[in-house]
Amino acid sequence: MRVSLKWLKQLVDVDLAPEELAERLDMTGTVIEAVETLGASLEGVVVGRILTKERHPEAEKLWVTTVDTGGEEPLNIVCGAQNFEAGDKVPVATIGTELPNGMKIKKAKLRGITSEGMNCSAAELGVGADESGIMVLPEDAPVGAPFAEYHGTADTVLELEVTPNRPDCLSMAGIAREVGAITGRKATIPSATPKEQGQPIAESVRVTIEDPGLCARYTARLIRGVSIGPSPDWMIERILAAGQRPVNNVVDITNYVMFELGQPLHAFDASKLGIDEEGNAHVIVRRAKEGERLTTLDGQDRALSTDVLLICDPTGPIALAGVMGGESTEVCEETVDILLESASFDTACTSRTSRSLGLISEASMRFERGVDPNGCANAADRAAALLAELCDGDVAPGIVDEYPRKAEARGVSLRISRLNDVLGTDISAEEVEGILTSLGLGVAGGPETFDLTVPTFRPDIEREVDLIEEVVRVWGMERVASTLPGGRERIGRLTYEQRWRERIERTLRAAGLNETMTYSFGDPGDMDRLGWDLPAGEVPVKLLNPMSEEQAVMRRTLAPGLLRSVSYNQRRDVDNVHLYEAGTVFWTEAGSKQPHEGARVAGVLAGRWHSPEWHDPKPSQASDERDRTQAELRSPELNFFDGKGLVEALVSDLGVERFKVRVEEYPWLQPGRSAELIVNGQVAGWVGEVHPRVLDAFDAHGPVVMFELAMDVLTAAAVPLRQYSEIPRFPAVELDIALVVEESVSAERVEQAITSAGGKVLEGVRLFDVYMGAGVPEGKKSLAYALTYRASDRTLTDEEVRPQHEKLLRKVASAVGAELRA
Amino acid sequence: MGVAEELEEMRDEGLAAIASAEDLASLDAVRVAYLGKKGLLTGVLRGLGQLSPQERPAVGKASNDVRESLEKALAERRAHLEEAHLEARVAAGAVDVTLPGRVRLPGREHLINMITREIVEIFLGLGYEVAEGPEAELDYYNFTALNHPPAHPARAASDTFYVQDLSMETVDSTGESDVLLRTHTSPVQIRVMEQGKPPLYVIAPGRVYRRDIADPSHLPQFHQVEGLVVDEGITFGDLKGTLDYFCKEMFGRDRRTRFRPHFFPFTEPSAEVDVSCGICDGAGCRFCKGTGWLEILGCGMVDPNVFEYVAVDSERYVGFAFGMGVERIAALKYNIPDLRMLVEGDMRFLRQF
Ligand SMILES: [Zn+2]
Repeated sequence: MRVSLKWLKQLVDVDLAPEELAERLDMTGTVIEAVETLGASLEGVVVGRILTKERHPEAEKLWVTTVDTGGEEPLNIVCGAQNFEAGDKVPVATIGTELPNGMKIKKAKLRGITSEGMNCSAAELGVGADESGIMVLPEDAPVGAPFAEYHGTADTVLELEVTPNRPDCLSMAGIAREVGAITGRKATIPSATPKEQGQPIAESVRVTIEDPGLCARYTARLIRGVSIGPSPDWMIERILAAGQRPVNNVVDITNYVMFELGQPLHAFDASKLGIDEEGNAHVIVRRAKEGERLTTLDGQDRALSTDVLLICDPTGPIALAGVMGGESTEVCEETVDILLESASFDTACTSRTSRSLGLISEASMRFERGVDPNGCANAADRAAALLAELCDGDVAPGIVDEYPRKAEARGVSLRISRLNDVLGTDISAEEVEGILTSLGLGVAGGPETFDLTVPTFRPDIEREVDLIEEVVRVWGMERVASTLPGGRERIGRLTYEQRWRERIERTLRAAGLNETMTYSFGDPGDMDRLGWDLPAGEVPVKLLNPMSEEQAVMRRTLAPGLLRSVSYNQRRDVDNVHLYEAGTVFWTEAGSKQPHEGARVAGVLAGRWHSPEWHDPKPSQASDERDRTQAELRSPELNFFDGKGLVEALVSDLGVERFKVRVEEYPWLQPGRSAELIVNGQVAGWVGEVHPRVLDAFDAHGPVVMFELAMDVLTAAAVPLRQYSEIPRFPAVELDIALVVEESVSAERVEQAITSAGGKVLEGVRLFDVYMGAGVPEGKKSLAYALTYRASDRTLTDEEVRPQHEKLLRKVASAVGAELRA
Repeated sequence: MGVAEELEEMRDEGLAAIASAEDLASLDAVRVAYLGKKGLLTGVLRGLGQLSPQERPAVGKASNDVRESLEKALAERRAHLEEAHLEARVAAGAVDVTLPGRVRLPGREHLINMITREIVEIFLGLGYEVAEGPEAELDYYNFTALNHPPAHPARAASDTFYVQDLSMETVDSTGESDVLLRTHTSPVQIRVMEQGKPPLYVIAPGRVYRRDIADPSHLPQFHQVEGLVVDEGITFGDLKGTLDYFCKEMFGRDRRTRFRPHFFPFTEPSAEVDVSCGICDGAGCRFCKGTGWLEILGCGMVDPNVFEYVAVDSERYVGFAFGMGVERIAALKYNIPDLRMLVEGDMRFLRQF
């Protein structure tokens, strides 16, 4: 809503500077989006007097003038207008001026004669519609005075953001009332009683509202014999300040009154309205019928759905109620008689119609927010009076007023004690009374409880709390003292689950992973790219209105997002990528309303922990082909075991006793480097190196290690309380063994064999070398273990351990088919 | 030469040999040569038997004196050599300490979660609990119970993501359904009030969605933190005090707040909260677009209509609620020029905070 301060000052006596007024409005609930100074653009335009006027020697239609603008020398100005004489006072744009239409005034030669400025028309200055000639000013205009100052064009426009609950603020009158309340001045709401003559309207016009649910009130006035022409400058200025283009006096008046009172009006050419059997113009307000069409003012032929509200005559639709008029009844230059509509249409219906047809106008915007039916007649009178005054029209006596759903002022009561309890203030009854009165409410009762009568232009005030809001915003939120709640029974703390989730993330960060965030949306093709088949019955969560086809579903897994992040980094030559994300995944099934959501934590590793450093161990040389994989696994390039190590660190930090990383194939992981994590017998997720084909699909290159775990399985398995176990008091005996086994024998199997053969004194088994190469036969590998023997009650001697150790070796060798290696 | 002279000579020679021993090994050789089982002094003592009983005590004493003085000199020389040896070893082990350290840097928290945690911790300190709710939410929780009228523009399919409802109920032709991606964290308010009884002091961080095209200042997904307090005797002053405290904790002790009345469907009265600009301290600068203030929060007193939906007695209990956008705070506090960086996963970005 654009508010001209010049206009506002006619409605309420404001003596605040524009900035101060803006600040007061801001602090009482009306956001100021911009403060625009009009007239400033006329800087450089001064009042001048034509001294001489001579025909241009080279051009028949041009005049060469000398103009006194108060400077030492008169200016030479070449001018094309014909409507002036020497001696006239005119507005002169001097060199360097930029006019509102964007034209820049420069020194220029016109057909060989230098022009040092421009004599301007009202249209060029944006102060009127007349562009036929230059603007001739009254004789008493002071030569050399800035034109804006002389003409009074200087104005400040506040651009207000009006919240949807305040339809009354979409009018100058409403803003004046609001400003009056916050500055303690009384606002004048414009009204008029038009002089009436001729045959009463009731004898020639009839209105029927067929759908009172969508039209609470419809009033019409008839104005005969108007002459269509341009509006006076003062009105054009207002209309321009309000952000509208002037059209002609009739259209401008309807717009002017809409801005002034908030009531959209529509003018029909009365002669074009269809008549009923009795010869009356008959306006019918009804819903559109199946298949009906209307050509609107913009020339578009529109198909209408049955939830559109129409204004019709006996022959058919003539306007979209509250949205746009029809072409057939449009006011044009030949129009003589006008039927003026001032009505109140349903908010939701207008909103639907204007949005579905893409016709959003100043009028539809006001109906959408709500137009007070009790204001219709006043606006019709005001416009009729202006039509009489400015268009020379004759206002027919009377008004046709169909008002099937009368809006009644609402009664609401307000307890002063409640107000102060809720606000934490000590506002007196007198202050409350003053504020509510200034807002236009009727106040009775008091001082404990007031009974308020709420006018219908304030539909937002329905309850006591709405009154409390009105009081505090006008009284001043800044005056409310800041306190803290004093309630008891408060303990601020995370839940058990939340604490574990935080700890899981902390552990991953400590292990070197950086947290990231990816989109919750998924590409429907992602599951195919992964080769991930949804379990039977499960379906993806589809968006009905996605932003794009690539974001049309909700993600089922965090993997695609992380793979895209790997690709993003790799494409920018950032090869060392260590990321994790904790986020939500979604799934659903037929018959289900709300989708399921699951919390996941996923990590991705690519490249190395860091680029080569001076202290890195020297890379070992593979002794032969067989050793190549072993060398690769030992290199700083991140691989499966880094991912597995992270998962193990995580689970061990949670204190989980029973967990296992078990061989399991997942289609998106490389076979042989793919596993799942079992925690307390439940699958918690997967870990592995991403399959090269999947990497291709996501434009990433490998090796890329990933894991994804279910947060709830992890937090459920976490052990919050861990019992003390004794720190060893006696020294241990450590003995190393090397076993040569078939390559297919898993490390896990060998370790199990050792553990089960170890007996009570075997405390620990650590695999410290895996070797396949020179010295080990083809198809075999050497595993070297450090075994720790310890007794809790005595120092073990070598002599005591030896026989046990020998026994263990024999058992293990036979269990896994191993031969001992020196 | 008498034994006494012999001993004296031995002592002098021995002391000289000790003094000239350059390392621990040659010192030890000296010790063995004089004091060892087959050493010179031992030899003298062995010869004691051949002496007359009158001579023995004097020679014995003299040889003990020699032993003592040699042992003393050996110990001193040993200590000296050990010290020198240690110093030499340390000197040889000196390294260029300006070489880079051996480090595996811990990972960083994502900026958005870092800010969220900061916010949550402030409110944990004020006695709040952390509540959560679904991201794919029902219209009822996201709009209806939050007092949004059926035709509220936020419900439009142009603004809100709607999710296919598979419960076989008819789907609205406008592209709307009963299930949507929550457009704010406010539905958590409703769930908290449904599930618990006042007093409630709750903070609800989470991801929310709106149909905005991703650009430097918008993302179709972003994060909010919601706050809700419902208790007896709560006032608008309590809301002001709480958020004033929060802003000072979050942005700095010297920052001020101001409350501008506003409109939200689910609070009444409602306000927007600005914090004074940290760059110009309220004087107005480019960062705050000349206003001196930065808009941070929306808040208000819980609307009685909302209480009605969750059957809380609005005469007995008063509540306040507030919400803030984490991305906005990130942009303001950390100078993030383009919000899209938050979802790209660029290591060079993530490692900065
Ligand atoms: Zn600033």
